[in-house]
Amino acid sequence: MPSTLSAPAPSAPAPAQLDVASELLALLRDTTTEPRPDVQLEALTLAVAADLPVLLWGEPGIGKTAALTQLAENLGLPLTTVIASVHEPSDFSGLPVIGDDPAVQGVPMAPPDWAVRLVRAGRGLLFLDELSTAPPAVQAALLRLVLERRIGSLRLPDGVRIVAAANPRASAADGWELSPPLANRFVHLQWVHDHDVVVRGLGGTWPRATLPQLDPARLADAVDLARRAVCGLLAGRPALVHRLPAGETRRGGAWPSPRSWEMTLRLIAFATAAGSSRDVLSLLVRGAVGDGPGLELLAGLDRMDLPDPEDLLADPEAAVLPERGDLRQAVLDSVVAAVRSRPEKSRWDAAWTLLVRAVESGAPDLVVVPATTLASLRRDAWDVPEAIEELAGVVALSRRADRAAARTAPGAKAGR
Amino acid sequence: MTGAADTADAAPGAGGPSEAEPGGAAPAAADSDGDSDRGLDLDKLYAARLQAARARPYVATALYALHAVPSRQVPTMAVDRHWRCYVSPGFVDRTPVEELAAVWVHEVSHLLRDHHGRSDRVARQQGLTGRAERLRMNIAADCEINDDAFGDGLVTPEGAVLPETLQLPEGQLMEDYLRQFRLGPQFGHLSWLDCGSGADGLDRQWDLGRDGAHGLSAQERDAVRFRVAQGIKGRPGNAPRQWQRWAEEAFHPPQPWRDLLGAAIRSAVSGSGAGEDYSYGRPSRRSSALRGTVLPSLRRRPPQVAVVIDTSGSVSDAELGGALLEVAAICRAVGGRRDLVTVLTCDAAARVVGPLCRAEGIPLVGGGGTDLRRGFARALRSRPRPDVVVALTDGQTPWPSDPPPCRTVVGLFPRPAPPGTPCEDDPDYRPDEPPQWARVVTLG
Repeated sequence: MPSTLSAPAPSAPAPAQLDVASELLALLRDTTTEPRPDVQLEALTLAVAADLPVLLWGEPGIGKTAALTQLAENLGLPLTTVIASVHEPSDFSGLPVIGDDPAVQGVPMAPPDWAVRLVRAGRGLLFLDELSTAPPAVQAALLRLVLERRIGSLRLPDGVRIVAAANPRASAADGWELSPPLANRFVHLQWVHDHDVVVRGLGGTWPRATLPQLDPARLADAVDLARRAVCGLLAGRPALVHRLPAGETRRGGAWPSPRSWEMTLRLIAFATAAGSSRDVLSLLVRGAVGDGPGLELLAGLDRMDLPDPEDLLADPEAAVLPERGDLRQAVLDSVVAAVRSRPEKSRWDAAWTLLVRAVESGAPDLVVVPATTLASLRRDAWDVPEAIEELAGVVALSRRADRAAARTAPGAKAGR
Repeated sequence: MTGAADTADAAPGAGGPSEAEPGGAAPAAADSDGDSDRGLDLDKLYAARLQAARARPYVATALYALHAVPSRQVPTMAVDRHWRCYVSPGFVDRTPVEELAAVWVHEVSHLLRDHHGRSDRVARQQGLTGRAERLRMNIAADCEINDDAFGDGLVTPEGAVLPETLQLPEGQLMEDYLRQFRLGPQFGHLSWLDCGSGADGLDRQWDLGRDGAHGLSAQERDAVRFRVAQGIKGRPGNAPRQWQRWAEEAFHPPQPWRDLLGAAIRSAVSGSGAGEDYSYGRPSRRSSALRGTVLPSLRRRPPQVAVVIDTSGSVSDAELGGALLEVAAICRAVGGRRDLVTVLTCDAAARVVGPLCRAEGIPLVGGGGTDLRRGFARALRSRPRPDVVVALTDGQTPWPSDPPPCRTVVGLFPRPAPPGTPCEDDPDYRPDEPPQWARVVTLG
């Protein structure tokens, strides 16, 4: 048997084999793309467009680099990848070069070639990979690059955007974590793979994200909204302005500071101008200031979306109440609160009209508490409006719940 | 969830037709899903929700965010991951209002506690597939909810799965329960149990899916959960302990202490001043290209680690053994040779046990009270001087007043010391908090 194996066919020399191999490789590379909404990529694109440094956190091998390649293609930017962990601090702070007379001319700090090329091109996407496995001294040098955009004696032009990637601490076998100052300069995006996308991609069809477009007509409104949202939150919650991460769990992640709030402001404006969904904005905001403050900001934005109680009271017949129960209840509560703050007969009547509309168009149990409160605001001179007849069902509902609650009382339970 | 098909005995006095409102005014507009809602007693369902919201005001927001969908395929009530609540009209008809209220709270608890996401994670980690495993997750999730969901204004629905049904202790998490029981014939009566894909992550045929009407997006779900958590944290007195724990951890799940301790020690032994960093001790490999310039080079100097172990009577051997093995493994992983790791035991006095050669073979002698200050002093006196001190303790000790001249990691065994417990000898004695200059990881 060995003899038949050992004799290679003379008609198939090695180069031909390689040609066949490249044919096979070409077939494997031959994939198509399909449009698919991608929240992660949209968030990344917006942050890059807003000229904020982004840090992608993700397990090795889940397509961070592939996403970056696609982004660079879409933005029409040349991609420069630098593996931070294999470089020395002097690669980012500049290599000292001795000139003729150091005493007169000083020692210039020469930038590496990729930086020179980036500056010459004037635009590009700089991808700093493996950031978390870079030694602390390298991270310190990167701080200057990320914040001041300086490499040695060069300054990166405004057209250059910076994206970094890091492995989470759990999977980094031998990693340093980011120092809080460096972490605070990034928008942190958690990069996870979508099972369906991977399976379909390996089958030959990769997704092609449709990227957000900034709408020139919405710029002014977007800035206004962003300022109102951030200032509205921070005015009421001064503790959120600056809070260093405490405890081991939150080290190396996003945390709120005036710097990251300014980043948030910019991100809200960009997401609004691009008409992005709340999901995208949620990723961005939580990535800039952390989960807790980010969620509070988003809750504030949700409230800003709700109709103004004064508008509703001014024209109750035309009012459109939110469909979702919890939001609708928040609106009704705010209407009753508005009447309480300035009780007038006409406003009181308008509020009843609104409650009737709410009962006609949605779940009646939401109306019970606002109706009870509104009834308690009645002044002696005010007649009960006719519309209140429509709320009889609500009263019955409330009584029914009362009876059920009474049966639930400890004594009643024994009988069951 | 509440199976109990036969509640005929409870029906007449409870939610019977006697109290059905004349005129009905059933708000069909809310559920204009065609003819499928024929027969669903929405008034009764909403009265139950009102009672649930009154009994548990801190989950009211979440209750109102649920969208009720009539479905004849669900056995009782079930939720999906997009916060829709599928309701069987027959179940509503035969179940009293107060029991429906308890079911509302139960179902919304599945969603608030992210049981579908957690089930998916467990399934992925442990390679669990199939319906039976998902049923097991559903049962474990029910146990997590039911041990403190009822009572205090809510009845316990018939057939609710309690930890004691499985002969398990109360107050644990779904993941803990899941480890402790297997499905068997004794659980045959639970096989009908079905809280939907919102409870165990397995898609059901009745689910309307991601694109169906009235679903909540991921961000909206987070927003609702956040508002509920904030409400509980704002008035912690009203919510039971389990809910308070949930509110604390909803958006900051505790990380496994192994990862945290590992990260803390890694960053301590590899920080500048220890281990691998740039030094001028040797010329850089690039110096030949730049004559006349001295460049630093990356040098690896294995770090000296001193482990100070609190061997006072209050720390159990099992705790110490586990933590010590962990430290040894981490030091090995970061390249420290074993002979560079020194172990000291410390109670009221400190003694050096010697280099860490076999972690499991270290004699840990001690007992009584602790004074970690002696342990620190002893560790810092040793030669060569340690780059990192790792202290494993229960924290019931005085701490050094000044930060030691090296990095410090404190592994803290949690002790639920109720504030105000007086010490026998000195009623004013309070154990000090671990100092600010140390990185503190709570173990176990």
